[in-house]
Amino acid sequence: MDFSYQVSENIDHIIASLPLIKVELALAFGFLLTIAATLFLDKTWKQSSFYISIITCLGAFVILLSQYNLQSSGFYQMLILDKMSFFARSFILVSLLIACIYFQQYFKDKIFNKRKGDIYSILLAAGIGLHILTMTSNWLMAFIAIEMVSISSYVLVGYFSENKKQAEAAMKYALFGSACAAVMLYGLSLVYGFTGDLDFSSQQHIQGLIDAPKVMVSIAFLFVFTGIGFKLSFVPFHLWAPDVYEGSPTPVTAFLSTIPKIAAIVLFGRIASAWISTQFYFSDLTFLFIAVVAMVTMLIGNLIALRQQDVKRMMAYSSIGHTGFLLMAIIGYSNGHQDILLFYILAYTLMNLAIFAFISILEKQEGSTLLSSYTGLGKTYPILFTCFSFIGIALVGLPPTAGFVGKLLVFSSIFELYQSSEDPIFLALLIIGALTSVISLFYYFKIPLYAFLKNSASSEETPVASEEIPASLRGGTTKQSSLSSPSYPPSSPPPPFNILYLIGILLTILVLLLGIFPSLALNIFSINS
Amino acid sequence: MGLLSLLIFLPLLAVLAILVLPNRSNGSFKYISLAATLIQFGLSGYLYANFQPSESAFNAVSAYQYVEQMPWIRMQLGSLGTLEIDYFLGVDGFSLPLLVLSAFVMLMAIGASWRIEKSKKGYFALLMLLNTAVMGIFCALDFFLFYVFYEVMLLPLYFLIGIWGGARREYAAIKFFIYTLFGSVFMLLVIVGLYFSVQNPNTGAHTFNMLYMMDPTNYVPGSFFEALGNSQEILGIPARMVGFIVLFVAFAIKIPIVPLHTWLPDAHVEAPTPVSIILAGILLKIGGYGVIRICLGIFPDAAVDANWWLGLIGIISILYGAFNALAQTDLKRLIAYSSVSHMGFVLLGIASLTAEGISGAVFQMLSHGFLSAALFFLVGVLYDRVHDRYIYNFRGLASLMPKYTAYVAIAFFASLGLPGFSAFIGEAFVIIGTFNAESLSTGIPRWMAIFGSLGILLSAAYFLWTLQRMFFGETRLKGGETWANSLTDLSVREQIILFPTLALALLLGVMPSLVFGVLNQSVLSLLNLVNPYL
Repeated sequence: MDFSYQVSENIDHIIASLPLIKVELALAFGFLLTIAATLFLDKTWKQSSFYISIITCLGAFVILLSQYNLQSSGFYQMLILDKMSFFARSFILVSLLIACIYFQQYFKDKIFNKRKGDIYSILLAAGIGLHILTMTSNWLMAFIAIEMVSISSYVLVGYFSENKKQAEAAMKYALFGSACAAVMLYGLSLVYGFTGDLDFSSQQHIQGLIDAPKVMVSIAFLFVFTGIGFKLSFVPFHLWAPDVYEGSPTPVTAFLSTIPKIAAIVLFGRIASAWISTQFYFSDLTFLFIAVVAMVTMLIGNLIALRQQDVKRMMAYSSIGHTGFLLMAIIGYSNGHQDILLFYILAYTLMNLAIFAFISILEKQEGSTLLSSYTGLGKTYPILFTCFSFIGIALVGLPPTAGFVGKLLVFSSIFELYQSSEDPIFLALLIIGALTSVISLFYYFKIPLYAFLKNSASSEETPVASEEIPASLRGGTTKQSSLSSPSYPPSSPPPPFNILYLIGILLTILVLLLGIFPSLALNIFSINS
Repeated sequence: MGLLSLLIFLPLLAVLAILVLPNRSNGSFKYISLAATLIQFGLSGYLYANFQPSESAFNAVSAYQYVEQMPWIRMQLGSLGTLEIDYFLGVDGFSLPLLVLSAFVMLMAIGASWRIEKSKKGYFALLMLLNTAVMGIFCALDFFLFYVFYEVMLLPLYFLIGIWGGARREYAAIKFFIYTLFGSVFMLLVIVGLYFSVQNPNTGAHTFNMLYMMDPTNYVPGSFFEALGNSQEILGIPARMVGFIVLFVAFAIKIPIVPLHTWLPDAHVEAPTPVSIILAGILLKIGGYGVIRICLGIFPDAAVDANWWLGLIGIISILYGAFNALAQTDLKRLIAYSSVSHMGFVLLGIASLTAEGISGAVFQMLSHGFLSAALFFLVGVLYDRVHDRYIYNFRGLASLMPKYTAYVAIAFFASLGLPGFSAFIGEAFVIIGTFNAESLSTGIPRWMAIFGSLGILLSAAYFLWTLQRMFFGETRLKGGETWANSLTDLSVREQIILFPTLALALLLGVMPSLVFGVLNQSVLSLLNLVNPYL
């Protein structure tokens, strides 16, 4: 009797919790629909799966809006719905929508002998995982979500591999990913052994960590952070990122460098704020870990980016550098500044998506992602490269862009900590953060350098050589592009005004707008803080 | 919308007009820019004429005129309190003369770009964007706003040097950008620190308002940059001194002072003539203005402790710049190094912390503003005709280009500090101020004044020597007949630009009260802020 009573109570609880995941249910429904559409509808109407995925994203977003004021948890505390997860999920949905469009544009007029519809179902599946990642403080859920995202990413990278290099990237990614996941799982089992509880923010969990032997807890922490570090690609778990980013088709890179990061940062932020807030040594350990990793990641990401010649590879290192900065924002977040973290995530997402829109267009037009292939293109695509340069400026963190406001706010949150604690590590964070912005200027400004500054050199001084240079570049780039993408014929007619262009320009305008009027976004983020 | 906003955003309207107009009508771009700048010049002249010096304290709003203040960014930041950023503009005796100077130099620059052929649309749009940023810097009284304009200024300059510059333009452009950015990111950290230390006494919110930052009573007790009884330290250096040094370095890169000056010759040599004019005429002044308004205004206590070093750096810049100028064989480089030397006087004058010294420093900035612009313009005249600036490739130009020679001679004499010209007033006041500093015990010894006058002597040497080498003697040109034919004398357009400039140098040299009348009260109120710490 007692048992059956419990069962019905459990079922009641689960049924009561179901409305909490209606957004994810919508995504799951869309996921199934796209699979069906790929199998049956795509033969008659090629774009069906694409449109279904777009409608799914939009629908899920509308449903998500109804959860705006929802502060709740369900499934026995496994899922938490709060403002943080609301905003993170809305970023994810919007970026998923944009990513879908990138994929559709990329494959629109390309001969590709696998089913294209599958991409969209994979994207939606990744979306579900990402959503859960932002909503949980439970290790088990987090692990499942990470794996869901990881497997989707492996498939995305591997699905398109058409040559050795891409296959190598996919293989590297999958192997590295599985190893990290295994290590993380081992760490989790240790943590569970110490605490008997899987909810990392619960009292029992923290008490268990306090009681456990220090060495073992430290080891367990390092293992756990390995798994998250892989997703976030911070140093030293960043090694996969450049190869994968360079080897994958541009929309995959756009997806990988942006969207999983939103979710992983939110999860990491939750862990950090739960663990840093106590008085015990593992708080110091967590804090020290994040701070040191943030510094090293910023330095290494930005320094290596200096030497890159391929814009996708450069963006890989740039996104590693930005991860370091996001970790700095997490330190601020653990001190109660969720609005600052959210603003920086938003700015980062907008900037990254915009830059990949431009890279995609140029890849399509010029058949290459080499920086040198942009030589002199500023005249051919003045609007595109103006926007491109603006995004570069935003990524450096110069006013009047959202990147600047984001950076300023993160600096503020760290400075506040420095002022109250006078711990020199905060000062080191600030100085390295500032220094790496200067370093990043060098490589982001390679874009306008090649597009605007270099052109006249060839046209003015050596009119004869100018015909040779592009030819030789093309020679070099076709080799490269056959590696990075199934080659488009290199042609440069006047830029077509397609949807990618529109998205890129819109995102640029948003970045500038948020730079001049940051209150537009910040007032929304900070309502409940 | 107030007059200052109009002054700032008028060029932005011109940018929009230029961008919207099709490339077909590219002949109209220079007229649009000229019209916008002429209106600006008229407007700034009007502001100048109607300025009423006020005796209010340096940190009181009443000391500033044409003030515009409205909330720009307000956000709740949890434990950080309310973020308070204002759109806050106003001018006093320091900024107003520099505004007029900027409008004037901008006019010269547009005159100098009259023959630009390469992508006019981008060129004039960037020039006008730069104009907006420069005006904004001199008007802003909110540190955040100031910083935004300060950084926005870099972008058009990067492209102006990088696209329209000479052979090594890419290198020069990025070097210039990196130097300035290096200074300004650390400035950003200090801004953040100040933001946390200062509270608006009316609302209790943290603020970026510069005037509140200048009042020691607005600092939160125990905060990082607390003004009274601060015991914070970084590596053993008091926190306020660190803040001062970081801000000073950021602006000193712009001035430029000697160890940080190496971007200047490169940028000048590679930049096209109009951009050189703007660089020398306006941008270097931003450095001096920043030191006065921000370093002295916000950290007067640290400035008092550091002024011996500031004076020393000034002296080194004066002498090092002058000796380097002596050694140059490229005319443009020579003038670039002479700028380093002349801007050293500005720093020396500021460091003296006397009324004469600071007035002289500001006067020297103005005088150097249009004189160096004229000098770069004159170099441009030569370069336009034969595409060469190497001093030893020319000899006896006087007989070929008599009018040109006359203008060069006047500009050289004016720049080397001949009495009767503006540079004399500026340099003389700086040296008087430095000399008096010892009797006022501000910490600047007399020997610095002596070294300063040595700088004037050296500048006479390099200017006169150049005059002798290039213009006198028998005509001998590297390019022979072809050069002789292309070296035509000044055109009417060039004279229209040069004549008012040199006339202004003479006018201010004879009637310095035109500037001192506006300036004096602000200098005194700044000193009132500094003096308690002496």
